[in-house]
Amino acid sequence: MVSKESCRNEIRAAIRQLSDRCLYSAAKWAGEQLVGIEQDSSNFTPSNTRFQRGSSSIRRRFSTNESISTPQPSVGFSQPPATPLPQEDEVIDGDLYLLAKSYFDCREYRRASHVLRDQMSKKSVFLRCYALYLVLCTIQYFAGEKRKEEEMVELEGPLGKSDAINRELVSLERELSALKRTGAIDSFGLYLYGVVLKEKGNASLARASLVESVNSYPWNWSAWSELQSLCTSIEILNSLNLNNHWMKEFFLGSAYQELRMHSESLAKYEYLQDIFSFSNYIQAQTAKAQYSLREFDQVEIMFEDLLRNDPYRVEDMDLYSNVLYAKEACAALSYLAHKVFLTDKYRPESCCIVGNYYSLKGQHEKAVMYFRRALKLNKKYLSAWTLMGHEYVEMKNTSAAIDAYRRAVDVNPCDYRAWYGLGQAYEMMGMPFYALHYFRKSIFFLPNDSRLWIAMAKCYQSEQLHMLEEAIKCYKRAVNCGDTEGIALNQLAKLHQKLGRNEEAAFYFEKDLERMDAEGLEGPNMFEALVFLATHLKTNKKFDEAEVYCTRLLDYSGPEKEKAKSLLRGIRMAQTGFPSMDMEHFPL
Amino acid sequence: MAGLTRTAGAFAVTPHKISVCILLQLYAPSAQMSLPFPFSSISQHNRLGLYLLSLTKSCDDIFEPKLEDLINQLREVGEDMDAWLTDHLTNRFSSLTSPDDLLNFFNDMRGILGSLDSGAAQDDQIILDPNSNLGMFVRRCILAFNLLSFEGVCHLFTSIEVYCREAHSSSAQYDESNDNLESLIQHDQMDMEKYIMDKATEEVELQKNASGRVPFHLHTPEALFKVTKGLLVTRKEKSRTNTKKAEATQLACASSSTVGDTLVDESLFLRTNYQIQGFLMEQADAIETHGSSLSSSSIESFLQKLQNLAPELHRVHFLRYLNKLHSDDYFAALENLLRYFDYSAGTEGFDLVLPSTGCSMYGRYEIALLCLGMMHFRFGHPNLALEVLTEAVRVSQQHSNDTCLAYTLAAMSNLLSEMGIASTTSVLGSSYSPVTSTASLLSVQQRVYILLKESLRRADTLKLRRLVASNHLAMAKFELMHVQRPLLSFGPKASVRHKTCPVSVCKEIRLGAHLLSDFSAESSTMTIDGSLSSVWLKDLQKPWGQPVFSQESGSRKSSTFFQFCDHLVSIPGSVSQIIGASYLLRATSWELYGSAPMARMNTLVYAALFGDSSSSSDAELAYLKLIQHLALYKGYKDAFAALKIAEEKFLTVSKSKILLLKLQLLHEHALHRGNLKLAQRMCNELGGLASTTMGVDMELKVEASLREARTLLAAKQYSQAANVAHSLFCTCHKFNLQIEKASVLLLLAEIHKKSGNAVLGLPYALASISFCQSFNLDLLKASATLTLAELWLGLGSNHAKRALDLLHGAFPMILGHGGLELRARAYIFEANCNLSDPSFSVSTDSDTVLDSLRQASDELQALEYHELAAEAFYLMAMVYDKVGQLEEREEAATLFKMHITALENPQDEEPNMA
Repeated sequence: MVSKESCRNEIRAAIRQLSDRCLYSAAKWAGEQLVGIEQDSSNFTPSNTRFQRGSSSIRRRFSTNESISTPQPSVGFSQPPATPLPQEDEVIDGDLYLLAKSYFDCREYRRASHVLRDQMSKKSVFLRCYALYLVLCTIQYFAGEKRKEEEMVELEGPLGKSDAINRELVSLERELSALKRTGAIDSFGLYLYGVVLKEKGNASLARASLVESVNSYPWNWSAWSELQSLCTSIEILNSLNLNNHWMKEFFLGSAYQELRMHSESLAKYEYLQDIFSFSNYIQAQTAKAQYSLREFDQVEIMFEDLLRNDPYRVEDMDLYSNVLYAKEACAALSYLAHKVFLTDKYRPESCCIVGNYYSLKGQHEKAVMYFRRALKLNKKYLSAWTLMGHEYVEMKNTSAAIDAYRRAVDVNPCDYRAWYGLGQAYEMMGMPFYALHYFRKSIFFLPNDSRLWIAMAKCYQSEQLHMLEEAIKCYKRAVNCGDTEGIALNQLAKLHQKLGRNEEAAFYFEKDLERMDAEGLEGPNMFEALVFLATHLKTNKKFDEAEVYCTRLLDYSGPEKEKAKSLLRGIRMAQTGFPSMDMEHFPL
Repeated sequence: MAGLTRTAGAFAVTPHKISVCILLQLYAPSAQMSLPFPFSSISQHNRLGLYLLSLTKSCDDIFEPKLEDLINQLREVGEDMDAWLTDHLTNRFSSLTSPDDLLNFFNDMRGILGSLDSGAAQDDQIILDPNSNLGMFVRRCILAFNLLSFEGVCHLFTSIEVYCREAHSSSAQYDESNDNLESLIQHDQMDMEKYIMDKATEEVELQKNASGRVPFHLHTPEALFKVTKGLLVTRKEKSRTNTKKAEATQLACASSSTVGDTLVDESLFLRTNYQIQGFLMEQADAIETHGSSLSSSSIESFLQKLQNLAPELHRVHFLRYLNKLHSDDYFAALENLLRYFDYSAGTEGFDLVLPSTGCSMYGRYEIALLCLGMMHFRFGHPNLALEVLTEAVRVSQQHSNDTCLAYTLAAMSNLLSEMGIASTTSVLGSSYSPVTSTASLLSVQQRVYILLKESLRRADTLKLRRLVASNHLAMAKFELMHVQRPLLSFGPKASVRHKTCPVSVCKEIRLGAHLLSDFSAESSTMTIDGSLSSVWLKDLQKPWGQPVFSQESGSRKSSTFFQFCDHLVSIPGSVSQIIGASYLLRATSWELYGSAPMARMNTLVYAALFGDSSSSSDAELAYLKLIQHLALYKGYKDAFAALKIAEEKFLTVSKSKILLLKLQLLHEHALHRGNLKLAQRMCNELGGLASTTMGVDMELKVEASLREARTLLAAKQYSQAANVAHSLFCTCHKFNLQIEKASVLLLLAEIHKKSGNAVLGLPYALASISFCQSFNLDLLKASATLTLAELWLGLGSNHAKRALDLLHGAFPMILGHGGLELRARAYIFEANCNLSDPSFSVSTDSDTVLDSLRQASDELQALEYHELAAEAFYLMAMVYDKVGQLEEREEAATLFKMHITALENPQDEEPNMA
């Protein structure tokens, strides 16, 4: 078991080193984890307890593991001896380095890299390359926009874009690879090399470089997350040769989540909570996993708690807004939207939240506008694409919806919602056969969702295709997946009835009736089932059972009651052995 | 969606255009400039003008020549003043040291344009008419420059620097660092050259649509093939002139359409949408024409780059789809097709958006369905394809897109006629389309006919000439293969007599060929093919590249000028594809009607004239016909040799025509050599190629069982052979395959003849003859007549006279058009008749008999048909014996012995290709 104290020391050192190299987001992440470590009761300071008091409420309400207070040595982390805290290669930074760092902090990257042009220490080399890389990134990012304004090119990302930039990127890559070959590169340099390789589209080399980086310096979360984005399948993940370190557990948690292995990921986070019991990060990630498992109530409580501790948090709040949307909590959603908007309105998450709010209010044009804004801020923002697709569907603009969904799918091909949306849009346009392909895709990624199976069945059932056998198969799958809306059983019964298979129809009507009884529902479906069952049993000469259904029908008013009466009369007649004579035709 | 609304055809200033402007300044110096007039003669001046004209014409090409290339070209144009021209060009560039110089340069450019109210010009000044081609170019450049923002000017300035620097450094680069690149390029060159040499007529077709041409997306403006070929000629000739390095670069950029990886080096400057679309269209052509011989990964990497650079260019996905389609990657093809239509709703690319129809607000998803249907068809899922196409019909009706409907119907009829589907009723019956619902009661052929008629009608009203033409051809094909019977006729008046009508076939073919004359009228309204612009420059390179150029006199130059113009009125590849297909169809119909020379001639015309623009399946068909002809008329050795060549050219994927042909040839060969085991195996393999579904691949199935019956016959298992033939006849009847019936009947007669049951055989032979008569199958009729005669003779020698008469009636046809086997059979039979005729005396008339026997034996030896050859030699020996020529008798006898042993021990030296 890694002691909390050693964890803390590691992180403290790491934060200093990371921010010294201007890897701010990694430093931020490490800082969050640092305060997330539970204080030993012996030496807590009042400020720490103040910070941690709020978050303990969630523990009390959802104390899923009891091991918080009693740490179990058996499940402890094995601290590898191989990764001692790295020593700084120069204890005192050179003057030039200090200057470069200040330039960097003022976002004058070119200047920063120029200052360090002749410095040979590993740290300086890293900062120089890193600054250069950031320059190239920003130029690339803005190039598209600028060109568009010039209207020289009809295409957004112009051809012949930034040839010079590409060249610089290549030379950067060359320099880094040369450094790597001579061994004059530290783990930060390896991280940068991995990022550049990833940019160039060389995934396997990038992975190798990143693995090397995290193995020698595990506290750089940015490297881990780059590595995670390169792990697109479980096989790749398993093939990575990673040293054991508690940072690896964080990595695995997030990687499992991306690979839709939610319970595995939850297990990892639960395990990490032993040490980082107050980490907001872990809490948010747990909430994310729970959201994927559709435990909305629990997720809502978790997010409320999170916001109480960290009221100006914007990250992951879009997920919270989704939950509120699903629960149709207008007021809460508007409160959340207002809050994040005051915090930072130029975050894609905030725009997305506002979009969700408008969507819930039925103002789809405005919703689309905000989703568009979110996408302008981050073109690869998956959920905004999907949500925008939903809005377009609401607005009956199918081709725009298809476009949006397709972008979502291209950002992440595992997004079953977008595949489903594509299918839906094509079905709306009267192309059910074409839509089937998309439904199939979405089902491939989420085979246990009855809604998807029902959608597919409806496609088969449509008047254009009329492939009833296939529809029946889909409905059966839906029933097996636990159909919550109760459509499948009824449809199964009706389809069998239509195909003249009365025995099967009776079976499914009976099941449907059981379900409705259990849920205490009534309605036309129930009448239908009762009438069919009564008639069917009567024709099969099972008069007693038929009578039971008929008497149930008598409880309701309407035409069904009359039907039941006549059925009952028929049954009596048959039972008394009279020749079948239709009494109804005689005036009573 | 963003990419859709932009207009095509923007114009951007690039360094190359600035060079052209500089040259234009030289061509027409303004009054203020004090440049010396350097031209020594008027013709020299004109030549520069002509060159500039072609440069401006090609300015929309995606690849702009580098400065170095330009200088090389100038060298050839300028003759003795080239140094002066290039010096001026480079000096002018080096004088541009700041953005302000650019501004001044374009101000100066104004000076060379005449004012619109001209007339006040000085006498000695050459003034560009602002409305001329060159004048327009200058005006566009000036306008484009004036529209630039300061950033734009800066960008242009940096590009100019790079442009000039590259010209200086490139030669050095080649020697030092870029050994790899050079070898790579050379490697490519060699590949390409080899490819060109070998595969001059090859094409792999994209989708087997009615005419081999592909609607909408894939209409093929100009086969890139032609262009590459031209370039390669250039390359080869140039390399003789020892300007190696220079042209290595040029070639690299020229061939980069296939190499792909030079694009990024090239794409220093921005391209307009127009240029890129045109370029992509060329690529689509290349994929279509070269098919699988083009390495798919190189295209893939190039597309990947393009996509990175232009993420909103969705056309890339379509190209990727095409590429995957050709590398037979089902999943990737499907994925990319769907992606393309999801993004663009089928409205990207200018071959699509007809100005009149515009794009509906729903997008054009019916086209997606059409493409998807054809994809399924190509990958061999006829039922899926039919489902999708049915949906396409429905959706295009919903969106009242008649054009798409016409194409869809054509595709559907093509699908039905190529594959045939038994269970169409369930599929088509469910749709509420009026077209298909009436069809649900009819046989497949009738449905094909109705679909074709509908498609033709729509295409006619919509003036889709190419579709009309290809529909006419499909109709001709239909008329050829299917017996005419009044459709949906009832009552006593309906004619029950079946017959084919060669006149209507001919009519349809001719109607199809009308396209050629229509085309000139249509060309004005047709959407512009983007590649035309690039063709300009490529054509330009052809004449310039020839070393003879500078030595030739003026006449030569005028001819090159015509070559420039030629391209504007030339026929697009798609049109010539259709015309070519009509020739192939002619060949097929002559084959069927029984004229071998006509069939061969038409095929040769096709191969000679349309080979380079043909679709691959058509080319394959032409090869097949020629090889079949060889086998029939020249024997197997030649045929197999030709087959080997063909196999190298066309990939032998499953069910390809070449594979079929190979099996057929091997079967025939084995039958003739008496290797029955092998024959049986080939026959089974042939049958295995057909789909197991009822009613699908009927032609193939019929062929397989026909061959099986023949194999059984050769194995002397008469009753089994007869059984197979009988059931085959029933199948043919069931599926309404009239023409096949005739040959089955003939086979039955043949079986009875061989089994010695001549009386039973007679009615079959007669029935076959009457079938052939009504279907105009002359050659088959001749062969049936021969069988009939043989049957008569089989009844006894007293019928020899009658048999001989019959034979002589059929002789002209047999000798004129028949293959080796038929001719040999006729000769032997004639000899037989004569010998068995009691009134014939061998001793006096031995020469007549011997002549025909000698003829027969020669032909049979070419065929390696041991059985008949043995018979011929036997007869010969007998005759020699009678006549008393002992030496010849012995010779014939040994040959007889040889053939008999060969027949009895069929060596298993089966050709290595088996």
